[in-house]
This record gives sequence, C-alpha cells and structure tokens, in this order.
Amino acid sequence: MGGDHGPGEVVAGAAQLSLRREDIQVVLVGDTEQLAPLLDAQSYEPRRLSLRHTPQWVAPQRRSREALDELPEASILVACRMVAEGQADAVVTAGPTGAAILAAERCLGRVPGVRRAALAAVTPTELRHGPRQDPFALLLDVGSTLHVRAEDLVTFAIMGSAYATAISENPRPRVALLSNGSEPHKGPSEVVEAHQLLLEMKDIEFVGNVEGLDIPRGTVDVVVTDGFVGNVVLKMIEGLGEVITDLAADAHARKFLWRLGLNMLSSGMKEIQSLLDWESYGGAPILGFTQPVIKAHGRSHSRAVGNACKVAAKAARSDMAASIERAMRRMPRSGSQSG
Amino acid sequence: MAQEVTRWRHAYRWDLDKTYLDTRFEKFGELLRIPFQGAEDKVNVPGSAALLRELTRAIDGQADSYVSIVSGSPRQLREVLEAKLRLDGVTWQEFHLKPQLKNLSKGRLRAVREQVGYKLPLMLRSRVALPATLRETLFGDDAEVDVLVYSLYADLLCGRSSGEELDALLKKVGASAAARQRCASDLASLEPSGSDREPVETIFIHLDSGSPPALFAPFGARVIPVFNYYQAALVLFARGHLDVQSVVRITAAFLKADRCGPWELANLFQDIARRGHLPTDAMETLAIGVQDDSAGNEAAEVVWNSAQRLLDLQGMVGPSPQPDPPPLDYPALLDHLKSSRRAARRARSKSESG
Repeated sequence: MGGDHGPGEVVAGAAQLSLRREDIQVVLVGDTEQLAPLLDAQSYEPRRLSLRHTPQWVAPQRRSREALDELPEASILVACRMVAEGQADAVVTAGPTGAAILAAERCLGRVPGVRRAALAAVTPTELRHGPRQDPFALLLDVGSTLHVRAEDLVTFAIMGSAYATAISENPRPRVALLSNGSEPHKGPSEVVEAHQLLLEMKDIEFVGNVEGLDIPRGTVDVVVTDGFVGNVVLKMIEGLGEVITDLAADAHARKFLWRLGLNMLSSGMKEIQSLLDWESYGGAPILGFTQPVIKAHGRSHSRAVGNACKVAAKAARSDMAASIERAMRRMPRSGSQSG
Repeated sequence: MAQEVTRWRHAYRWDLDKTYLDTRFEKFGELLRIPFQGAEDKVNVPGSAALLRELTRAIDGQADSYVSIVSGSPRQLREVLEAKLRLDGVTWQEFHLKPQLKNLSKGRLRAVREQVGYKLPLMLRSRVALPATLRETLFGDDAEVDVLVYSLYADLLCGRSSGEELDALLKKVGASAAARQRCASDLASLEPSGSDREPVETIFIHLDSGSPPALFAPFGARVIPVFNYYQAALVLFARGHLDVQSVVRITAAFLKADRCGPWELANLFQDIARRGHLPTDAMETLAIGVQDDSAGNEAAEVVWNSAQRLLDLQGMVGPSPQPDPPPLDYPALLDHLKSSRRAARRARSKSESG
C-alpha cells in the first residue's frame, strides 16, 4: 500500500483492473480501515477483488531491514507470505524497493544460484523486438544491487534472457553488457570479467558490449548493468520523456505557427509520448526470487498500478520464476558463486 | 384487521428491469429487441429468481410473504413478463406496469422516463391496503433513482418525512396535480405502525451500473448496495428472513449458473461483511449451520469456507453503519444522483473510447 501518492492510487488501480480483467484476482493487503473507504468510493467488481487486513506497513523513509524486523505484519511481508503459502501467485508493490527485496528474500527465497536479485525495467526503443515486435528492451539491474561482481552480471544476463523468453515470447533474445565501448576490454573490471564469462555460455545469445546510445536505439533485447548505472539510465529516460512532453506543450502555447505544426504532427507526437510513457509499461520485475515480485514505480498512478498487476499475472502464468530456475541450473558453476 | 395482520409475514417490493431482470436498453438496438422477446428470452439478474423463491417459500406455522412488483416497462409486456415470473417459479400479489403508450399518445414525454411520480403513488396506494404493522424490504437498482423513491417512501411511513416534502419533490419531478393529490390523500389515510421498528427494514440497491457503494452512504444504513443477490441473501439471513438451507440453495444457484466459483463467492462474502452488513455473530451462526453439510455439498462448503476464512482473520468485518440517517434533503439528493450518473456515464464512455 505504498507509493508516493498513498494507497488511493493503488486502490483505484486495483478497482479498475477488477472491472476490466476477468482473469485476474487482486488481493489488496493493508489496513482495511484505511483501504475500505477508498475502495467504496470506486466502481469495482468484488468477485475479483478482496482485502487482507494488516495494520503495519513500511514507511518509505525507514531503513528496510530495521522496519521489517520491527514490523512482522508489515503489508509487504504479509503479501510475500501469502504468495509463499500459495494464497496468491505474485506480489506487486509500489512501496520501497529495499523492503520488497528483503521481504521476498525472507518469505520466498532466491532461486538457487542467484546471489543478488535484479530489478528489470523495460525501456522504449526505436527498433522493435521479438516476434510481437515490442517497442522496448529490457534493462537490468535498475536499482536492486548497487555493487556487483562479475558473477552477478552473468546471473542478471541469464535472468534477463529467461524473462524476455517467457514474457516477450522471444525465443533467443540478444543480450549485451552496458559499457563505455564495444571492445571487450572496455569498462570496469567486473564488466570485463563478465564479458569473458558470458562469451563461454552457449545458452544465451550474448552479443558483447553496448554503449548508452544503443539503449534507445534498441540494438539488443536485454541490456545488463549494475543497479547504480541502471537506475541513473532509467530515470534519465523517464525524465527525457517528461521534458519532451513539457517542451511540446510549451511550444504549443507560445506560437501559432508552432501550434499548427504540432497539430499536424499530433498523431506522431502521441506515438512518441505513449512510447515514453512509463506508466503504460506497468511494473518492473524483481528477478531472482522463486515467485514473481513486481515493483511498481513509487510515482505510480492507478493506470500504472493496474498495468503492474497485468505484468504480475503474466509472469505468474508463464512460470517465469521456473524459467529462470531452469536457466540457472544450466549455468556453469564457478568457485566464486554462492547461493 | 386482526386477520390481515397474521396474513403476511413480510412484504418484498421489487423493481423489475435491472433489479430482477437483466434488461439492456442502453443502445437503440437493445431497446428495439425488447418487444420481440419471449418469456424464455428474458434473462435474470444473477440470483434474483432464486432469492425471490426463497423469500416466498412457505414456512410451516408462518404467514406468507407479500410480493409487489412495480416496473417501468410498458403494460403491453404484461403477458410476457408474467410468463417469465411463472417460469421462474415466482409468485406475486401485485404487479404494476407503466402506461407508456398512454403517456406517449398524450405527449407526456417526461412521464415516459420519470420514475418518482410513477412509483411513489403506487407504493403509497399499495401500503394503504396493507396492515400497518407489516414490515417491508425493497429491491431496486442504481440505474434510475430507486434509492430516492424507496428512501422517501420509508421516511413517509415512519413519519420522518412529511406530506409537504413529498409534495415538493413530486412538484420538482413534474408529477401531475392528480397524482400529487392521490399521494397526499393516501399518506393521510395511513395508520401509524404503533411500533418502534420502522416499517421499511432494508432497501437493497443492485449495483447494475457499477456505481460506487459510497454513492449511497448519504441515505443511511437502511440502504444496502449489493453487487448481486448472493450478498443480499447473506444480509437477509443475518436479519432472519432466510434460513441456512435457503442460503445454501442460493449459493448452489450461483455456483451452477452465474459464473461464480468458490473464490468469487468468498470475495463477495468478504465484501458484504467488510462493508458492515454481515455481523460476526451471523457469520458464526451460518458457519455452524452449514458445518454438517459442508462435506460433499459444494455450496455448503463454499459458505463454510467463506465464513471461516473471515472469522480467522482479524479486522476484516467492518463496523455496522450508523443506523439513523440524518434528515434527508430529497430534492438535493435527486440532483446529486442525477449528476453522479451523468459523470459516471461520461467516465465510462471516455474509458471505452480510450
């Protein structure tokens, strides 16, 4: 029940989804005293929407580990426990990422062989991907693990490839490492080492290094990096989308000729706007756990929350976690990897 | 009069379209199809027939239920609609249909759509002929202004609203002078119930148009918005109108015909309890009542699991809504309902086009 806009947007997103998708059941976990009036003010379909009461929740400003130790009934823990016990199939949260990762670690556990979880996000691209011609690529990690080892980057590549196969139905996604040059020796030591390790792996289509400009171009299907760089890149793309929209609105208001020009380009502008609209992509999966965990953006409005739930349902249906587990089993073991 | 008092155990008043029957007339094509439909083409709102059958089921040593149906459908449909009710195994004492052809031929276009000036006089006239102590439960929907008509009717019977307020509202909706005069005279001839309990016990509003439940909060605890009649059955069990077996039979009807599985029914159960209309003690009684049947009887098992699931969890049963609504300003509420409906229609068409 987190998120910058409070539980109202989460409740509205779930309510709208309950009206539109007959194949998804949503359980809202949180303080019913707070949630009930918000829900009653919405149109919703109660056959596909229920509540689970818990009075505790993790405030965004709190340290996640400390908060979860003190709040055993925190909503994120209850939600993860429900999934672990088979009462639900996936967790969606707009709350703090750290709390979601810790709660998932405690209740669901990591896939064997995965040392660190990775937050994966889709980024809009010029080129299309996979058999469905999706206008986006997968970028991971975007904030889960700030300091990585080479083995972590390899794990992220395997998980990203498995996710793209399961969710985007891309049978052989092209995977690359993000670096400051395409040459194998370019970049920090962990990237150089990961490059060598990935070259030896035959199960994934590793195409080498890509640079920042390749992300919006979409030259590959999965871009692998550490959580620090990934987060900076992701936020920059989001910011760019918002700035383009603001600039267009400003130009529209300032000069008649510009307005005329923009009106003539309006359908194209709308396409660009929808491509850059992060709310339409739903949430980002936190890969590496035995069940799907989807992190909705903290700034999510109802539409983004609903889309995050759709991503969660798709991840659960495609048995995405099991695909990752199978891919990890095929990964050659090295001495430095631990579970 | 003493004989009349024992003749009926409770009165149930039903609207027909969108309350009992799942009638669609939002599009022109749907409207055109209606006159050509036979009784077997008419579709029930899920659970409506099962619920009405259970409410009118004969009980040894008890008087019968009184059923009144007031519909805005034209009188020309009487034969088909009565055949439909008979097909459903439903019995009734009153069945009113609207003189739509007469309204059209006399150019009374407002009267074709208007519900307040049509239903209220009929209900008051019907009440005059019934024992003053008879209590009522009313069923309507959110497509028109049933909640307002029923609430005003309830307030008139218990004396919370006056003849002047009734007249002001009738004037606002354009009711004829004759209808206003009839209402005033029927209201004046009503006997006081002589009981502390209000004559209208519950008003169920079937959320056909997807209105948020909170829209009906200003009407007080007497009004209970329900998403379907499984929820109404649970409330009516809690209020002593239905026994455990009736609830199980209605549950079975939902499992069989109305696209509701155990999970969906459990969610509907939770929803009505969460909104404070199904107290814990009623849930316990229901759970105990179905416990013996729950092995091998899917419907009983669904009820048992739903009740048990809620009783096991903390904080899932909402507090009962405040019993006494504040005095209602009916003309203002009429405007509020109409503007909410317009806003909802706009939002729906925007969402459909987007």
